[in-house]
Order: sequence, then structure tokens, then C-alpha cells
Amino acid sequence: MTAQLRAELLKHRSTFTNLGLLLGMLGLVLLAVLLHALSLPADRLDSASDQVEVFRFGPLLGALFAGLVGALAITGEIRHGTIRPTFLMTPRRGRVVAAKVLASGLVGIVFGLVAVGAAVGVGSAALAARGVPVMLDGSDYTLLPAGGMAAAALWAPIGLGLGALLRNQVATLVAIFLWLFFVENLLLDFVPGAGRFAPGAAAAAITGLDPDRLLAPALGVLLLALYAAVTAAAGTIAALRRDVA
Amino acid sequence: MQPEARTETQSGEQARRRPALAEAAPREPVISVHALTKRYGDVVAVEDLTFSLEAGTVTGFLGPNGAGKTTTLRLLLGLARPTAGEALVFGCRYRELDSPARRVGAVLESNDFHPGRSGRDHLRVLALAAEIPRSRVEELLALVELEAAAGRRVKTYSLGMRQRLGLAGALLGDPELLILDEPANGLDPAGMHWLRGFLRRFAEEGRTVLVSSHVLAEVAQTVDRVVIIDRGRLLTTVPLAELTGRGQTLEEVYLGLTAGEAS
Repeated sequence: MTAQLRAELLKHRSTFTNLGLLLGMLGLVLLAVLLHALSLPADRLDSASDQVEVFRFGPLLGALFAGLVGALAITGEIRHGTIRPTFLMTPRRGRVVAAKVLASGLVGIVFGLVAVGAAVGVGSAALAARGVPVMLDGSDYTLLPAGGMAAAALWAPIGLGLGALLRNQVATLVAIFLWLFFVENLLLDFVPGAGRFAPGAAAAAITGLDPDRLLAPALGVLLLALYAAVTAAAGTIAALRRDVA
Repeated sequence: MQPEARTETQSGEQARRRPALAEAAPREPVISVHALTKRYGDVVAVEDLTFSLEAGTVTGFLGPNGAGKTTTLRLLLGLARPTAGEALVFGCRYRELDSPARRVGAVLESNDFHPGRSGRDHLRVLALAAEIPRSRVEELLALVELEAAAGRRVKTYSLGMRQRLGLAGALLGDPELLILDEPANGLDPAGMHWLRGFLRRFAEEGRTVLVSSHVLAEVAQTVDRVVIIDRGRLLTTVPLAELTGRGQTLEEVYLGLTAGEAS
């Protein structure tokens, strides 16, 4: 499986796709963080729970884009036809999917770290520029990057498994986007008791930013790992069973 | 594993090639397709197809569009599962081969590349997965004359260059069996000439080629024998020399068989 992992890592490194995604993610992090930090009235930014609105976009967008990385790792191969030479070289498809899970998880960790770093750096600077004291404490500075990396590492296999099930690239990317930014917001607003168990909310919980609404970080990471395992397993079964066109 | 290469090829000498090869390769057929059937819902793509290929031959796999050629090749290569019957390479299912890239090379589509990846990186990815040394990538880039373009992204390649890159990928593991689906598409006359010479030399080393095509004139110049199918069923499998010995052309035989099937 080392051979397949090395091949998958080279796939990630040898196109500009990931760089484009990384820049797109950074742009969205800056936009969301700056809009909230600069335009919310100062009296809605003075407590730690208020400032969640600023910093939460780091881990959220890190997880989203890690999901996209995972989804593209499989749907891109199906779209461009490289899945054929890939499976000819490694007809034991389970190994291919496992290597993809690991490789996209590693890439996801980088995305998570970059997203959280950008959100904390830019958010803190913007708040400081307005004279609003930053309410992040010592544990936040550990949990935010660690949680952001864990959330992104686990969202990559979720995207991958979903991509292996749906196979269509655009459908998979749209589904991930809609789920994280639309469906989960509705769930959290209208049925918060259930919404906090959703995979995006579980990812956000790992950072410990919003303990009132979300699960405890340890529970969040366990739940998200479960989602990742189930989705990746379903995607593996689909890849094993289906014919390649 | 590599018997002496012969210098010149003439169709009359084909019969003499076999005995020398018998020492190099086991008698077991390189490809054996037995009672192979593939259905997609109600559509029958391949039905009860049986044929086999011996080492050291170039076989043309012929049939009208939609005859089931591509489906058969995908079943042979483990990309699709048969509904019934079996398709074996070297006596095994493709998925069960230990290092498949070192036994079998295949090109199924002319454009199975990521457009944003360079030709060299495409081959390196495949070489890593199959644990083939990196030096082999450079050897193949030289063989298919893509060294100058190797660092460029595949989206800038012409169709002929893509065909050659695909072939380089199939040859990475120095396989004993080469399976090509419609390799003539998009090749210019010089490219065609090059491919024909390459396939001949490949077979003369005791290795085996299965090449699907519907360009009969091209096939007639390249292959030792033909397997003709239509609507998923075998029509005939015959050495080309036998046809010419009877004073028939491949085109006459092909059109007679496929027309007879249609009426």
C-alpha cells in the first residue's frame, strides 16, 4: 500500500488543482472573517461566544475544502478517465481507495492548518485594529489549530466516500457545499438537538469554540471519525462492486 | 523470457515462429475467454464468447461498432465483472495477478490523462503505483519520442502524442501481453507505420498483442490472426495466412460474415 500512497501523493502534487483550492479557501476565509470582524457592531463582539462568529470560519472552511480535496481525488479520476490506468496498475481497488483516504487526509491537514491560521491571524488583527480585545485564551490557541486539522483530516475521507458513491464531480462538490452551508445551518437553527450531531457541526465542535451549542471536542472528534469511517467504507464497497465504464 | 529477435518479417514466415516460442512461453494460452457473457440490464453486450490467444502472435479483434469488443477487453482487464463465464490472462483473473503491470499492458481510451498533469508525471504516478523504477519512465519517454514534451501539461498534446503517452504507460512494466483498443484512431501515417513496426517487434520477442480495430486495411498489414465478433458473439477466429492462402481478402471475409449476421 506504500506504493499506492506514494502514487496518490504525487497525484496531489503534480497538478495545480490543490493550489487553486487552497487559494480559493484562503480568499473565502479572509472574506468571511473580515466581514464579520469589521462590520459587526462592537457590542456584539465583546464576549468569547460573540467572537465565535469571526473565528469559526477557519475550521469550517478548512473542513469544507478538505472535503472537496477528497471528493476530487476520486471524481477527478473518473471524469478524466485516469481511473482506468489507476485500476490497471492496482486492480485491488481497496488499496487504491485506502491510499486515497490517507493521501487526501494528509492534504486536508494542511488545508485545515492554513484555514485556521489565516482566520485567527486576520481575525485577531482586524479586531485589534478596532480596539476590540481578542477573547481567545491559551486553550483556544491549542484547540483551534489541532481541531481545525482534525476536522479537515476527517472531512477528506467523507468527501472521498461521497465522491465514490456519486461518481459525478459537480454533483459531489455541490452536495458537500449545500450540506455544510445550507442544510446544517437549517438543522442547527430549527432542530439544534439533532443538528449538533451532523458532520459539519461535529467538525466545528472539535475546535471547542462554541461549547454552548455544540458537542464537547472529544465527542465531536469521535463522532466525526465515525462519519468518516462509514462514508469511506461505503465508498470502498461502491468502488469494489461497480464496473468501470 | 526474451527469445532471439528476428530481423525481418514476412507473412510467409509466420508459421515458423511458433516452435521457437514454445520453449519461451508455457503452452497455456496467454488469453483464454470461455463462455463469456456480459449483460447490462436487458442489453447483451457479450454473449457466450469463447476464444484464446497464444504467445508470440498479434491478433486483430474485429467487429462493427457496438459488437462488444471494448466490453470484452474491460472484462479481461478486471474493469468490469462478467455476468457469466470467465476471461483469463495467463490463466488467472486480472485482479489476481501479482504484479499485473509486469504481465499485461493495456490502453483502452486515447485520452485517459489529467489535462493539467505533465506527461512525465502521468507516467511517474503509474510507475510509483506499480513499483517500477523511475529510470524506466525516462526510457519510455525516449521510446515513444516524447522527451521534449514530457514536462508539458497533457492538455497541450496532440492526439498522436496522447496515443504514444498512453502506450508508454502500458509498456512501463515491460509486459508480456499488450492489449490496445482502437490504437489507430488519430495516428497519422508516420505514427501508424511506427506502431505497426513496434507491434511486430514486440511479437517477435515472443510476446503477445491483442488489438481491436475497425480499420481493416491497417489490420491486414499488422496481424497474424483475426478474431471477428458481432453482437457479442464470435463469428470466426482464423489465421490471416489461411485467408490469403484461400485467395480471400480480410475485407471480403469480414463483410461476408458481418453482413450474413445482419440479414
